[in-house]
Amino acid sequence: MGRWAHRTHLAGLLLLAAVPACREAGRAPPPASLAVTDDAGRPVALTAPARRVISLLPSFTELLFAIGAGDRLVGRTTWCDYPPEAVRVPSVGDGMPPNVEAVAARHPDLVVLYRSGPNIMAAGQLERLGIKTVLLDLNLLEQLGPAARRLGVLTGRRTSADSLARAMDSLASQPPIPSTWSLVFIVWDNPPIVIGAGSYLDRLAALAGARNVFHDIGSPSAQVAIETIAARDPDFVAVLSDSAVPPRYAGRPEWRAVRAVRARRFLFLPGQLFGRPGPRVAEAVREFRRRLDQAP
Amino acid sequence: MKYVLLAVAAVVTLAAAVLLGPADVPLRDVLGSPIVWQLRLPRAVLAFLVGGALGVSGVALQALVRNPLADPFLLGLSGGAGLGAVVAIAFDLPGPWALPLAAFVGAVSAMALVYRLGLMGGAELDPRILLLGGVAVGAFAAAITTAIVSLAQATELRNAFLWLWGGFSGASWTTVLVILVYAPLPLGVLAAAARPLDLLALGEEPAQYLGADVRRLKRLVYLAASLLTAAAVAVAGVIGFVGLIVPHLCRLVWGRLHRALFPTAFLAGGILLAAADTLARTVVAPRELPVGIVTALLGVPVFAFLLRRWTVS
Amino acid sequence: MDRELILALRGVTCRYPGAPRDSLQGVSLEVRAGEFHAVLGPNGSGKTTLVRTALGLVRPAAGGTEILERPASGWSRRDLARVVGVLPQREDNLFPQRVRETVLLGRYPHLSLLGGVRAADHAAVERALVACDAADLADRWLWTLSGGEYQRVRLARALAQEPRLLVLDEPTVSLDLRHEMELFELVRALVDGRGLAALVVTHHVNLAARFADRVLLLLEGRPAGAGAPGDVLTRETAERVFAWPVAIAPFDGRPQMIPLRQRKDPP
Repeated sequence: MGRWAHRTHLAGLLLLAAVPACREAGRAPPPASLAVTDDAGRPVALTAPARRVISLLPSFTELLFAIGAGDRLVGRTTWCDYPPEAVRVPSVGDGMPPNVEAVAARHPDLVVLYRSGPNIMAAGQLERLGIKTVLLDLNLLEQLGPAARRLGVLTGRRTSADSLARAMDSLASQPPIPSTWSLVFIVWDNPPIVIGAGSYLDRLAALAGARNVFHDIGSPSAQVAIETIAARDPDFVAVLSDSAVPPRYAGRPEWRAVRAVRARRFLFLPGQLFGRPGPRVAEAVREFRRRLDQAP
Repeated sequence: MKYVLLAVAAVVTLAAAVLLGPADVPLRDVLGSPIVWQLRLPRAVLAFLVGGALGVSGVALQALVRNPLADPFLLGLSGGAGLGAVVAIAFDLPGPWALPLAAFVGAVSAMALVYRLGLMGGAELDPRILLLGGVAVGAFAAAITTAIVSLAQATELRNAFLWLWGGFSGASWTTVLVILVYAPLPLGVLAAAARPLDLLALGEEPAQYLGADVRRLKRLVYLAASLLTAAAVAVAGVIGFVGLIVPHLCRLVWGRLHRALFPTAFLAGGILLAAADTLARTVVAPRELPVGIVTALLGVPVFAFLLRRWTVS
Repeated sequence: MDRELILALRGVTCRYPGAPRDSLQGVSLEVRAGEFHAVLGPNGSGKTTLVRTALGLVRPAAGGTEILERPASGWSRRDLARVVGVLPQREDNLFPQRVRETVLLGRYPHLSLLGGVRAADHAAVERALVACDAADLADRWLWTLSGGEYQRVRLARALAQEPRLLVLDEPTVSLDLRHEMELFELVRALVDGRGLAALVVTHHVNLAARFADRVLLLLEGRPAGAGAPGDVLTRETAERVFAWPVAIAPFDGRPQMIPLRQRKDPP
């Protein structure tokens, strides 16, 4: 053996020592100028503004266009239909759950997802493929501003995003105007499901001067009895609908106990504008007010 | 004496169902209130009828499969009804009766399939195969249902599941009328089968030696009980536990002879479900609980109490 | 004068679906009022099949069964239950019941669809309990009874049907000596006292030989002997049927079968 072996051993030891040092070096991220924390608590950092963005929620698509980052979009869901330019962006499926392969095939550098169980899993899969993801909450009016701001940081459109966010924040902090009308949002009839205080629609109604008779229920939606709706006697029944056809249950005898159903006082709110929180919230409030004033 | 108590309990329960509710209807206005006449009364009556149907159905099925743990929904009916309901919503079938009709057709189809399976061992219905077949058909239907829901992905379908969990929010006098016209036939068949079912408890062969036409009996009882359950599901979704626990409660108090069990199970089931529905409407007002949860919460302590009394005596 | 013919099997041959051989082959039997018939044979000789065929539960491939000179297939189960009272080998007891209730089940073939239980029915139950020496057991729970008491109660239930024929399938399995004798004595008394016919399937050769008027010996579904016990139970026949060396010794005018020992020397 002797000296030759000794040197080989030494070399081997040095090599072994070097490996962890290299791995350490690989772990340390390069200095990032664009960093946010998403709503799943994860740090998301980019070295340069995102150039190829995929949005997996119609609201995020709207937001991206509203902050001037619409030209960066390389993928959207089939539901993303606003603004009209969005339709030209290729679709990667309906997003429920996200089609990871279709998303990856577009080679994005950022994927924006709504924070939900299946989406968290999809985000994990995308991260494993080396694709950066950001998970954002978007259920309430208050969440529009923070979402816009973070998207602004990640796409390098900070200024437009901040001004949009300020507008939405000021809307969110507006005190409720005195309500002239009362309404109930009915989402389903059997069993009856209504919208409560924890939801975007309830907020829109308050901003438009209509009181949700189920504002005392804290959760976004709840099952109630027809009797309860009848007892609270709302002036209007609001439904998310693109047409002005009264819902099927309106003809059923048991629903006639509700005055608004008997008198056919329905508010039909198109899903595209009212169904999801988005940058057009001010327009939604105005439209809401208009429909209230115009109703028979 | 016990019968009198049962009748009184029925009246009290119905009265409570009519007088209590999330809307505040003062006593003097009750008789004229549309909320009472159009909403509470049909709902209370429907809950009573459905509970009665489930109770009777449970007694009959437990006698048929000679297993005190049988529940009407063990025979695949709930899976079939769920599939029917989901199909109605996914394909947006028209008409206010689309959902209950589709659920009914689904339940009856499941029943027919299980029946066919039950005959596989020969010309005679084998109760053991009925149970296994019911579980298999139910699971199969549930799988197809889940497939449709995952592929169609409309939010309405999630609400279909809410319907399936059971409830009387859609009750109206029309629904009550449908049940009143439909139920007497299967109920009548089961009433006529009361004595042969007593004999069946001894075993199929001994029952035949004591004069029961066991072959016809099994078919008729299975069909009648399934039709009752299918109607109950179509109208109120899947409300488990009533068909399982009411026969036991009644047996504890009235013994095992079916001539007494059938009427008392009808009343007891009706009382249980009407009371459960009243609680479901009032306990977390303005919200509502699914009725199936309330029946379970009500049924178990009552059963435990009666069981203790029985074992002690 | 010939006593009334209650049950007749004529050349009955049966095979269960999928079975390798016939369960019964060419079996004939006549049971008249006031007669005590025993059916004997080793396991698998077709004794229970005979009971099922006699009562129309199994349709024979050849031959026929008649009860009161009408084909078995022509009887409704209800009518048949008013003529024949059966104690099957096995029975379930899913729910606790009292003796009186279980004996009352024997009255079911007599109850009308809409009618209730009448005083005459309760009287029949009482009489049946008394005849089976079970009157003092009337209010006991079934599950508290001993084996012998339980069989007496089941016999009372069969009697409550007010039948012309009693059919007992292995009634003395798991009974001790005293209860075996009591049961056979009881059946004999009913046959003698009331003119009932009795068909008892048993593996207890000696009891059958002591009490029965006529014996049918079955081997693998075929009749190996039919007639008075003294005529049927010869040493040759017994050894052939039971596949064991026996001696036949008379007792009380009846043959008794005594199995001989077979010494097996170690190899």
